[in-house]
Amino acid sequence: MKRLLTIAAAVGVAMSVGTTADAADRTVKIAGFGAMSGVVRSFGINTDAVMRAAAKAINDAGGVKLADGSMAPMEVSFDDDRCNAEEGISVVRRIASSDAVVGVGPTCSNVAEPLFGILQAKAGDEGDSGLQFPIFTDTAIKGGLAKISEWAFRNVPNESQMYQTLFEWLASEHPDAKSVYGGVEEDFAHSRFTWYKVMKTRSADAGYEVKGEAKWLLNDTNFTTQVRAMKRAGADVIAISAHPFTTCGVLKEMARQRVEYKVLVGLTSSSSLETLNGCAKQAEGIIIPTSFAPVNPDAVAAADAAAALGGSADLHSAAAWEIMMILKDVIETAGIQATADSVAADRRAIRDGLATLKTTKGLLGEITRTDEGEAVKPYVYVHAADGTWAVLHDPNT
Amino acid sequence: MADYWWDVIDPIQSVLDGMMFGSIYALIGIGFTLIFGVMHKINLAYAAASIGGAYASLVAFQILSAPALVVFLCAAAASGVIGYIVYICCFRFIPEHLPLATLMASVGMLILIDEVVVHATAGMPEPYPAMFDDVMIDISPFWIRGDLLMIFALSVVAMLILLYVLYRTRLGIATRAVAQQPSAAQLCGIGQQQTNAVTFVITGALGGLAGAMVGASVGILSPLLALPLTVKGLVVTVIGGLGSIPGAIVAGILVGGFENVFQYFRGVTERDIYVMLLLFVFLTFRPQGLFGRISTRD
Amino acid sequence: MDFYYGMAQLIGVHTLLGLSAYVVLLTGQVSMAQAGFFAIGAYLGGMLTVLAGLHIVPAMLLAAVASALVATVVGFPALRVKGLMLVVATLAFGEAVRIFWFNFDYQIAKGNIQVGPLGGEGFKQIRYFPENGWSTADVAIFIWAWVIAAMVALWWMDRSRVGSVLRAVGEDELAAQSVGINLTAVKVSAMGIGGFIAGLGGAIYAHYTTHIEHLNFGVVLATFAIAYPILGGLSSVIGVLLAVIFIQGFLVEVLRFMGDWRNLLFGALIVLAMNVRPDGLFDARATRALKRLLGGRDA
Repeated sequence: MKRLLTIAAAVGVAMSVGTTADAADRTVKIAGFGAMSGVVRSFGINTDAVMRAAAKAINDAGGVKLADGSMAPMEVSFDDDRCNAEEGISVVRRIASSDAVVGVGPTCSNVAEPLFGILQAKAGDEGDSGLQFPIFTDTAIKGGLAKISEWAFRNVPNESQMYQTLFEWLASEHPDAKSVYGGVEEDFAHSRFTWYKVMKTRSADAGYEVKGEAKWLLNDTNFTTQVRAMKRAGADVIAISAHPFTTCGVLKEMARQRVEYKVLVGLTSSSSLETLNGCAKQAEGIIIPTSFAPVNPDAVAAADAAAALGGSADLHSAAAWEIMMILKDVIETAGIQATADSVAADRRAIRDGLATLKTTKGLLGEITRTDEGEAVKPYVYVHAADGTWAVLHDPNT
Repeated sequence: MADYWWDVIDPIQSVLDGMMFGSIYALIGIGFTLIFGVMHKINLAYAAASIGGAYASLVAFQILSAPALVVFLCAAAASGVIGYIVYICCFRFIPEHLPLATLMASVGMLILIDEVVVHATAGMPEPYPAMFDDVMIDISPFWIRGDLLMIFALSVVAMLILLYVLYRTRLGIATRAVAQQPSAAQLCGIGQQQTNAVTFVITGALGGLAGAMVGASVGILSPLLALPLTVKGLVVTVIGGLGSIPGAIVAGILVGGFENVFQYFRGVTERDIYVMLLLFVFLTFRPQGLFGRISTRD
Repeated sequence: MDFYYGMAQLIGVHTLLGLSAYVVLLTGQVSMAQAGFFAIGAYLGGMLTVLAGLHIVPAMLLAAVASALVATVVGFPALRVKGLMLVVATLAFGEAVRIFWFNFDYQIAKGNIQVGPLGGEGFKQIRYFPENGWSTADVAIFIWAWVIAAMVALWWMDRSRVGSVLRAVGEDELAAQSVGINLTAVKVSAMGIGGFIAGLGGAIYAHYTTHIEHLNFGVVLATFAIAYPILGGLSSVIGVLLAVIFIQGFLVEVLRFMGDWRNLLFGALIVLAMNVRPDGLFDARATRALKRLLGGRDA
């Protein structure tokens, strides 16, 4: 029994959350979290690196101005949530029990959705005992999540708008292409949502005839049946809403069966290194709207800073850079104390500050913020050319 | 060709593709069944080790740019080594009368292998070489994928080699002796531990080949592959009859074919429900599986 | 403090899952279907509070009863097979349940949003606890009331004749049958009890995460369900709790300071634990010691 108690005590000590900061050296603590394990590990690695790079850039320029006019450095941490809902909840409760003033994450939509559910739905609602902690999401992209809670904010691209203008642009660029055939990773919430609620409806709005869709699962290995149906449909545009692993699998099968198409469209999340790593040859020409590309000096500088710390800036992780810069501005405008006693007030001030933002600065230009806590980000269309992502068209110009 | 013909040709084509792909399930099923036959235990880390071996062979592909066949053999060799490690870590030192402990240890190993792969590759999909993947054999009205045919052929060769080893060599006789009567085998001077270890290496190599074949058929490797292969492999093992190698072969091809039939007619979301139903049908009407004997031992 | 209450909730939920597999394992059946029963409890429990507007307690009980009924029905065909066949059969059943929810849509309008399960996109806004002002501590206490009730019931059962009967079937079916034990009744009722507890756990889980989707209830969860009692040593309910603390507390949270190594250690330490203590972390000897400590009869 004694041994049991000792073990229990040891567990308790080891699980204890970091102690509160010394009032003398105040820092603004920002807690990142996301997936560092499993197939999405690269996302966590990138976001972590980008956040550290952004904090370094801010601190090199003097840090963040607090309410009393003093300057404090930003300190970032990063926790792994394994892309698992329960672990994501534990991580956020842990962060919320520390003196971090805001959380940045998560990677996966299936973590973001439950996470936003445990937050207070309406800020200041006494009857709602949900967690009162601002979360600013860089990666989890499934449509319409931030409206779950007023404490949840996202800086992820608005897929609905991006694909609407993409299909309109394609209609004018390729007037001979009349029909669309979809491919959807049916058991993954984000890709499923993006095909049925975004690509399918938006392409129809742009005047395309939707000829149907091929469905497969996240970890499928055999796409012959689906691709045969795709070939039979003979559509001019093939739009694939799937993550890199199956996108590559399907593209390789399409090459084998010699599926002919005029335009190939991909899922936002697939405009990353992973797709090119997996199947650069077959992905050649695939067009994807993305909210990040190193097209101006700011964006190049951010990408270089992240690369120096071992991460790659892509549409997801670059959002974390923007988030850090937005947070710096919001903190300076709201004027937080960053003391051990002011944590709750600071968090509320940051939430209110984020909620009132109408526009923010982004790496590609001005970002509009909606009342629901979502962002409408500038974007460009990229395509895979010779094994890299090249900008095909900038709809803003 | 009239449109309605496609309604006949497409399902048949799907079944053909599925059956060729099913040869991979057969290889995994053989691995489960062989270990079960010899040790009466399940090695849940088996499919993960197979994918792990395929990943290890990427070294040969990416750094040495070896030809596809050499890469496949490297996968088999690497998986054989992993098989031995799995044996040492999960089976060798855990008392024989505690099958649950070995089961759990192999689950731990499954998680560990997957995570090692993830750490080595950051979870990125890695391209994997294939043979004849640009060949489509046209036997009108059907098409046969060159790479799938190659996979099918390689799997058949591997199975024939395995059967030769089991039935024509001393090693095989020892393995089968331990499977049938461990204590009697020991009395005849056959080392049980040694035979078990050899079984793990052989099945590991077979699994590595299966892992390489999966990689070759999709064209990419991902840690995502391990879990579905484990489930399908176990289903194949049971349908084929525990401990029966011909059973695993037939069941693997059967499951691969059925899977595609259901996918064609019922769609991908319901496909696996029907595969599970197929399993239930077997368990209800033929619990010993296709070729299994009704066992009197537990 | 919130973090610890949150951990207590999580450990409570997983303990229920582990206990459900524990009961079934006592009769010698390795059931990989527990994640399926857990999913039934989660979806039904969530639908009853969100769509039907029930109080959490009747919702949980109804969900648990439904899941117990399904488990009982599964129990009969499961009698026909044992060993690896049973593992695979129950695994297949659990997967079938998951795929059922993957194909299941039932949504109604509530306010300006649609709520209810929506196939692959999941079932969100199961916010009974926060909407009714339950604090994290309240929820933790609520969950633990159920966990303790389940543990005490099973502990009592373990010490009574019922427990001996279950274990007798688990140890040697033939011998148990020869002394007049009705195998069918014992195995099927163990499945039913397991299904009930898993259903309870699932219903709480849905409210704990507020959002569920079919991928939460896959093979991994089914494996953890049996991992808890096996790691715990199958000799008492305490072992299950210890194993849950070992996995969810120690391997997941305590090892967080190890950074990147944590993920690698997760699997490695499970392998190590089974090699060092193949009988489980809390084996029969530990159970006897605990019983002596509590002044109970020596087993």
